[in-house]
Amino acid sequence: MMDPLAAISRIAGSGLQTQSKRLQIISENLANAESTGSTPGADPFRRKTISFKSEMDRLVGAELVGIRNVGTDRSPFRIEHDPGHPAADENGNVKKPNVNMLMEMADLREANRSYEANLQIIKKARSMVNATIDLLRN
Amino acid sequence: MIDAVASLPGAAGLAAPTSGVERKAATALTGAVQQPQRTDFSQVLSQVARDGVSRIQAAEATSLQGLQGQASVQQVVEAVMSAEQTLNTAIAVRDKVVQAYQEISRMQI
Amino acid sequence: MEAIHLFSLASRRSEWLSVRQATIAENVANVDTPGYRAKDVQPFREVMDHTRLQMAATSPSHLELDGRARQTRTDKADSWTITHSGNSVSIEQELMKSSSAAREHSLSTSIVKSFHRMLMTTLKG
Repeated sequence: MMDPLAAISRIAGSGLQTQSKRLQIISENLANAESTGSTPGADPFRRKTISFKSEMDRLVGAELVGIRNVGTDRSPFRIEHDPGHPAADENGNVKKPNVNMLMEMADLREANRSYEANLQIIKKARSMVNATIDLLRN
Repeated sequence: MIDAVASLPGAAGLAAPTSGVERKAATALTGAVQQPQRTDFSQVLSQVARDGVSRIQAAEATSLQGLQGQASVQQVVEAVMSAEQTLNTAIAVRDKVVQAYQEISRMQI
Repeated sequence: MEAIHLFSLASRRSEWLSVRQATIAENVANVDTPGYRAKDVQPFREVMDHTRLQMAATSPSHLELDGRARQTRTDKADSWTITHSGNSVSIEQELMKSSSAAREHSLSTSIVKSFHRMLMTTLKG
């Protein structure tokens, strides 16, 4: 492994990047939780998903994390009865996004927590490097 | 002889102690280097000098690597500290030897 | 010359703590990676039992590039949780380990600093 303390910037950095992307996806889902189509019977916004994978970086000598894929949630849309809606079909039903606000909020909190944890690790590594350099100071 | 001692960092060959004068100087030295078994202080002096020089060179090399991102912070710091310790030891040894010779030269009638 | 042994021991300990911190970083980065199992390093005592640091490659991905040994072991036996996706990383546990590693490192460097200073003072006297 390269200098372990230097490797931590790369490792935790990859964590920050992926959690950041995850937060972005969640925000998109939340913002579009009520976004329907504009023509009768049209599909609404479809929930986006993201999954991670670990990536062995030979130079760093450690397993970083990366994005395996960004996809869409294939679960069915919600149906609401709203005949006056532009996207209502002949029965007056509107297809609403398959986004569950509560789940997205929980996911958001977890993503934040993971993001913060990576930050904490970077801070710890930095303090260890500073402690070492401090040995040379009078 | 004091000139040779004063230029300790470059000194390599000093005569082996044969007289009581040199043996007393050797004893004065042993306190500085904490090697009570050695009374052949020429070996001690040249060893310490060699150590000092090589540690400083190693510290320089490691620092250069550190600046290029090839050595870790810990390696650089350790090399520098080690050089510092050995250099100060060499200086202390040299000073003790100089001091010992000065004392001895005052003894002569 | 006991101070020399102390410096050498502190050096090995600091390096072990750095490797441990990096392993913790891997765990935290992969906290949401399905199937990832938390890793940890061999206990320091085991490291000290070897006269030379050895490579303990548990898989081809743990090859050492520059000769500095990295002792890692997968599947920590005392993982607090394993999720249904097969991930065994507990953020709380990892952050606790991270804090203690940083603290022990601070102690190690402080000890070195003190003894170095004392040695310098002795030599200048």
